[in-house]
Amino acid sequence: MTYAYLFKYIIIGDTGVGKSCLLLQFTDKRFQPVHDLTIGVEFGARMVNIDGKQIKLQIWDTAGQESFRSITRSYYRGAAGALLVYDITRRETFNHLTSWLEDARQHSSSNMVIMLIGNKSDLESRRDVKREEGEAFAREHGLIFMETSAKTACNVEEAFINTAKEIYRKIQQGLFDVHNEANGIKIGPQQSIATSAGPGACPRNSRDTGSDSGCC
Amino acid sequence: MNFLRGVMGGQSAGPQHTEAETIQKLCDRVASSTLLDDRRNAVRALKSLSKKYRLEVGIQAMEHLIHVLQTDRSDSEIIGYALDTLYNIISNDEEEELEENSTRQSEDLGSQFTEIFIKQQENVTLLLSLLEEFDFHVRWPSVKLLTSLLKQLGPQVQQIILVSPMGVSRLMDLLADSREVIRNDGVLLLQALTRSNGAIQKIVAFENAFERLLDIITEEGSSDGGIVVEDCLILLQNLLKNNNSNQNFFKEGSYIQRMKPWFEVGDENSGWSAQKVTNLHLMLQLVRVLVSPTNPPGATSSCQKAMFQCGLLQQLCTILMATGVPADILTETINTVSEVIRGCQVNQDYFASVNAPSNPPRPAIVVLLMSMVNERQPFVLRCAVLYCFQCFLYKNQKGQGEIVSTLLPSTIDATGSSVSAGQLLCGGLFSTDSLSNWCAAVALAHALQENATQKEQLLRVQLATSIGNPPVSLLQQCTNILAQGSKIQTRVGLLILLCTWLSNCPIAVTHFLHNTANVPFLTGQIAENLGEEEQLVQGLCALLLGISIYFNDNSLETYLKEKLKQLIEKRIGKENFIEKLGFISKHELYSRASQKPQPNFPSPEYMIFDHEFTKLVKELEGVITKAIYKSSEEDKKEEEVKKTLEQHDNIVTHYKNMIREQDLQLEELKHQVSTLKCQNEQLQTAVTQQASQIQQQKDQYNLLKVQRGKDSQPQGLPSDGAQVNGIQPEEMSRLREEIEELKSNQERLQSQLAEKDSLIENLTKSVPVPGESEAGAAAGVAEVEGRLSVLLQETRELQNEIKVLSAERTALKEQLDSSNSTIAILQNEKDKLELEITDSKKEQDDLLVLLADQDQKILSLKKKLKDLGHPIEEEDELESGDQDEEDDENEDGGKDQGLSI
Ligand SMILES: Nc1nc2c(ncn2[C@@H]2O[C@H](COP(=O)(O)OP(=O)(O)O)[C@@H](O)[C@H]2O)c(=O)[nH]1
Ligand SMILES: [Mg+2]
Repeated sequence: MTYAYLFKYIIIGDTGVGKSCLLLQFTDKRFQPVHDLTIGVEFGARMVNIDGKQIKLQIWDTAGQESFRSITRSYYRGAAGALLVYDITRRETFNHLTSWLEDARQHSSSNMVIMLIGNKSDLESRRDVKREEGEAFAREHGLIFMETSAKTACNVEEAFINTAKEIYRKIQQGLFDVHNEANGIKIGPQQSIATSAGPGACPRNSRDTGSDSGCC
Repeated sequence: MNFLRGVMGGQSAGPQHTEAETIQKLCDRVASSTLLDDRRNAVRALKSLSKKYRLEVGIQAMEHLIHVLQTDRSDSEIIGYALDTLYNIISNDEEEELEENSTRQSEDLGSQFTEIFIKQQENVTLLLSLLEEFDFHVRWPSVKLLTSLLKQLGPQVQQIILVSPMGVSRLMDLLADSREVIRNDGVLLLQALTRSNGAIQKIVAFENAFERLLDIITEEGSSDGGIVVEDCLILLQNLLKNNNSNQNFFKEGSYIQRMKPWFEVGDENSGWSAQKVTNLHLMLQLVRVLVSPTNPPGATSSCQKAMFQCGLLQQLCTILMATGVPADILTETINTVSEVIRGCQVNQDYFASVNAPSNPPRPAIVVLLMSMVNERQPFVLRCAVLYCFQCFLYKNQKGQGEIVSTLLPSTIDATGSSVSAGQLLCGGLFSTDSLSNWCAAVALAHALQENATQKEQLLRVQLATSIGNPPVSLLQQCTNILAQGSKIQTRVGLLILLCTWLSNCPIAVTHFLHNTANVPFLTGQIAENLGEEEQLVQGLCALLLGISIYFNDNSLETYLKEKLKQLIEKRIGKENFIEKLGFISKHELYSRASQKPQPNFPSPEYMIFDHEFTKLVKELEGVITKAIYKSSEEDKKEEEVKKTLEQHDNIVTHYKNMIREQDLQLEELKHQVSTLKCQNEQLQTAVTQQASQIQQQKDQYNLLKVQRGKDSQPQGLPSDGAQVNGIQPEEMSRLREEIEELKSNQERLQSQLAEKDSLIENLTKSVPVPGESEAGAAAGVAEVEGRLSVLLQETRELQNEIKVLSAERTALKEQLDSSNSTIAILQNEKDKLELEITDSKKEQDDLLVLLADQDQKILSLKKKLKDLGHPIEEEDELESGDQDEEDDENEDGGKDQGLSI
């Protein structure tokens, strides 16, 4: 399947906050209550549509344990987006956000879009971190924020897509060098160079490719 | 170090004393000279000695060389020499010219020096930073040295690189170097770096290695390219083999599509260089890595689909049918096609439709089978064809039907103009070549695998033997040949076919037993005391007899299950029978075959077991043993148990469904409880608010009362109080409504609970006592009961919660009632107060009138006095009287007193 852009994401955050479940819910639309501990890094992918453009998301799900931190650090540089996840029922996962964010900022390109995610919103009765606290943290550090549930799928789709929208917006503002793959962005194989030349050329072009793929 | 000293000390006949001294002098110069030129010359001299006097230079100069790397970075030349020298010390690559016996020693040297070098992790980090240097004299030897370290002590060096920041990513940049030597050696470095380390493999893939490597392969001319292509392919294999995450990434990145052009080798025959053969071999292996039967099933099948969609499978089939392809490439292509189609219906269907470009065109399957039963073809090629045929039939009922149908009387081509798959298989089965016999038998067995229909169909096959004699069935012919005592390979093949055929097929068992020669033959074979080489055949005979018992539906009076068992008891002995049966899985070649589906034998003699057959043995060995030991009563019981088991299964399913429903209900109830709790909280806050309002009012009221008590005179309007009270009736009615709602909610909950209680009661009653029934069912029922009790527990908890809630509600209601009555009392008092106030007002009015009258009187009196000529200070008195009527109470006491008279 052809695509206009390819974005690379990483998912980070303490172990047990639901990173792997979020990825599985997004790629396979299912929830696995008993889940293997992620060892190192796992890969998943899905196509999404933004403004009528097909965008391929390639997602690397990392292990949260301290012992894998140095491995995780190798993934920041080449990622265009990061989902930073905490668990709303465990305050310590929220408290560790600062350290995760420091790591991310230090090793990533400055344009990397970071989405803060408070996961397990289905467990309202066990909530330990207020929504407002998440919002405040995001505001303070310039992140996008959402609460999700990998279990009920609530906001999962939106979290991945809104991150993509933000990256797409930055591309159109010219903040990303789309020709440097080290930024975690790639132009699709069948996109002409004109597509990336300017925002003005985009809509018409995308509609063309859209109808092309519709026929096949 | 001890080892090194030992070696050095023992080598008295080694280097002349002068050489050691020279090296020492050079080291001193490197260490202490203040002139860069001097140090550089010394390092260069060390480099020139480092190959011949590797040990000495290594021991004496290593630390000085490392020091140079740290301190002389500004001079690329000296760094280059130092790196080269270290490389010579550590690497074993350049030692090939030396004599045999020294090779081992030099290998030890390399790893010893590596250990010393990496003991300080900073040395590796230093090397990584040197790699970023663009200067050719620094970068190239750095690449070579690091590669050497990785080759010596891979795991340790990998670990150091993994934890150093961006270590792996920096090495990836080598692939982008425009200088070919560095790029190519970069590929070799990455090969060593990624060997058996999943984490590094993933990072390298993340850094776009697939894209880069595929680009290099294309640039270099794909299979026509040189050794760089080979190196890139090996690296790709490192990244993908047994790494599911990377395989998924490779597939999702649409890189499978980019492999297709590799196989466009066509018929033009531009020659097959050794390099091209190697490249193509690796390319085929890379395809196999992605669709290996040992990968997770989902992963393999999605790659298989992608390979069909992008035309890669089609391209491979073209090579299959092309002429002039070297035999080993052809063999590997067949193996590759096998795994691309295995268990994937679309690909299998496509493969069935492929025709060889012969005249007339023949199906590829037929052409391949011709090679399988042809003695003149290479052994590996024949194995590959068998594998391909097996993969074509794996989980492919349609394909199995098509193959079997070519043997059936109605469909055999009467003209005989074209040979069919069935004919080739029969030909192979009864040829004089035992390899063909085995292959054909196993191939035919795969046409029957897990397919009851084809097992029955194959019973219809009749063979014409010699002219004049009546035709004989295929089954009969197999047993005939078996009885003739041919080669072991032939008999093993036939027994594999027969066991597969008869298992799970009572009709085939009946056909088999119908031939009265068969059972005596089998018992004879098993009972006899034969040599070791016959043990496997004995075991297979035992298995076949066991199958004839286990899958016997008792339709033949002479060979009822029971009678066969008695026969075993009498002729062979149960223990003996079981022991012979065990020969199969104890055979030395058995476990090898059970590991992988591919028939892969070092030479024809090893061609004994088939992978699918080992699965069948595993499945049947236990059940047959049990069946042999069981008495007939037990058999009957078992039948009954089977039936009851089925019933139990139904019951369990029924309960499971019920539990599922109840789970849902529970969930709903829980939800309701939480909403109720929430409402309760809201009510409570409302009550608290009201209580405080009441308190306020009370206070206000008290104040009023006090004021009234103090000054029993008309005063401020009481409207404020009335307003505060005004809120209450509304709020109260809302509260009442909410309480009503709560009440009805609770009632509903309670009735639901009651229903559930009775439901659960029924359930518990209706679950049969599992004691006497079969263990499996008992476990199922026990599970149900367990879950029921959990449910009960949860229900009880819910009930408790509701009790607490209703207690709270009652308390609330009481509170409300009492506040209501307080309000009523207050209202009363307020009314009274208002009355009193009205009275006071009236009084006040009267007083005012009185006052006015008196004023009037005073005025007229004053006038009279004036008229009478009496002087008065009139102004002041009159004005003050006019002004102050309302502000009175706020003015000072003196005036008040004056007015209140
Ligand atoms: N209730 C609830 N549980 C979740 C959710 N997401 C994950 N979990 C559970 O949290 C645990 C850890 O999830 P996992 O995805 O392995 O966490 P990771 O270590 O961050 O990858 C698992 O037991 C999941 O079932 C969620 O949204 N809601
Ligand atoms: Mg995980």
